[in-house]
Amino acid sequence: MTRVVEVPTQFDDRTFDQFARSYAADGGGRVLFDAHAAQWASPYGLVGLLAAGQAITEGGGEQPLLTLPQDRDVAHYWARAGFLRHAEQFFELHGKAPRSVARGESDVLLEITSVKGADDVHDVVGHIQDRAASILTRELGLEAAATMGFGMALSEACQNIVEHAGTGGWVAVQTYTWRRKLGRRVVVIAVADAGVGFRRSLEATQAKRFGDRWSDAAALEAALIQGVSRFRDPGRGQGLAGIRRYLNRWAGKLAVRSGTARMTMVPPWDDDVPLADQLPPFPGTQVLMIVPAHAETG
Amino acid sequence: MKRIDLKDVLARTVSSGYGDLVTRRTGEAVRSGIEAMLAEDDETAVIDFGTVRLMDMSCADEIVGKLLLSHGPARYFLLVGVHAGHEDALLPVLERHHLAVVAQDRTGALKVLGSLPEPARLAFGYLADSGPALPDEIATRLALTPDVARDALQTLCERRVVRERGGHYQALR
Repeated sequence: MTRVVEVPTQFDDRTFDQFARSYAADGGGRVLFDAHAAQWASPYGLVGLLAAGQAITEGGGEQPLLTLPQDRDVAHYWARAGFLRHAEQFFELHGKAPRSVARGESDVLLEITSVKGADDVHDVVGHIQDRAASILTRELGLEAAATMGFGMALSEACQNIVEHAGTGGWVAVQTYTWRRKLGRRVVVIAVADAGVGFRRSLEATQAKRFGDRWSDAAALEAALIQGVSRFRDPGRGQGLAGIRRYLNRWAGKLAVRSGTARMTMVPPWDDDVPLADQLPPFPGTQVLMIVPAHAETG
Repeated sequence: MKRIDLKDVLARTVSSGYGDLVTRRTGEAVRSGIEAMLAEDDETAVIDFGTVRLMDMSCADEIVGKLLLSHGPARYFLLVGVHAGHEDALLPVLERHHLAVVAQDRTGALKVLGSLPEPARLAFGYLADSGPALPDEIATRLALTPDVARDALQTLCERRVVRERGGHYQALR
């Protein structure tokens, strides 16, 4: 018996809950992630798909199947983004995987990269900082000050995996022109893991304080708004607050999904909701950060 | 005065291949390296950020936050070569712990970073720009009452960002 989980044709943060709903649906047996009709996947979609495969594999389930996009250009993009290289660990791949990947100038700032320990965070930040600086200032028209904060936000987001997830995760960074919503270029950071999530991470220290209200949404509120951490060290819990400050300064968007809730810092150009609760459950934590071009640069 | 180059400490304690101060683990290692370099008789430690490209808040907390919490009552710390990116990481850490520290940028300009009442911040700015001064002079120049000026200087001395010698107050430099 095989259970099919549909990968949306346009797979990004907007359609992620549709994917999660299919993922969370009842039914035993081997899971088939069906991406054959996929036309577009954002970095957020791709790292989320890896996390789904990781959750099943690490949970002791049978290795899931994944049908690759039939569209050759889409499959090439998935390869160029680094997805296929990592997917082989978790999925039995079906369909035609591109053999070679063209290198060189690309809108992929950071291929999908595994984050397991502090060394990985150093490598990610070290790899991307110079190129990110160039894109943030030249293409997005942001002040030089945006560059340092970008590296800091990227580092703190990756460290959430190292410090709290209890397993490894993934990060990807990409720049593209977001015609549909903004008509401007954006840099997108997507981070995902299949770990314990915010609620379990904070349960021991925070659940009692919230009482009946304790939930995925309450855990996100505690971490993002109140800056609490599972560690008693008073210096902890600043990372997400720092990411919020950075994105607020540059009119960016931050969305953190964990379990059944998603909390979003909504910039003026977006129409997302600040808190979405009772979503289909999904393992771990998924973080989306979007830095838009300066309005007159785009 | 002991001068500590953070890039050197990073290379010695973590890896010579890294140019950025990121992650708590790195921050802990660098702080331990700094603590090993602090000689008993050094009243002031100068920490040089000039060769460090990027620092995140976790590292800022481990290095500067915890150094000031552990050693601040017994020692003066001066941060040099600090740029705006470093400040972005340092400020939330200092405010969270109610700490203050003197930072010097690459042009040599001094500023105090962190959590301070406004009269104390004004008084520090005056001392940094004009050199050593008596409390009455500071009160007059900044249009503060003598009591407020004395409280401000007392706060700056307690935070170890200003020294008092023979009745004159001087910004740490």
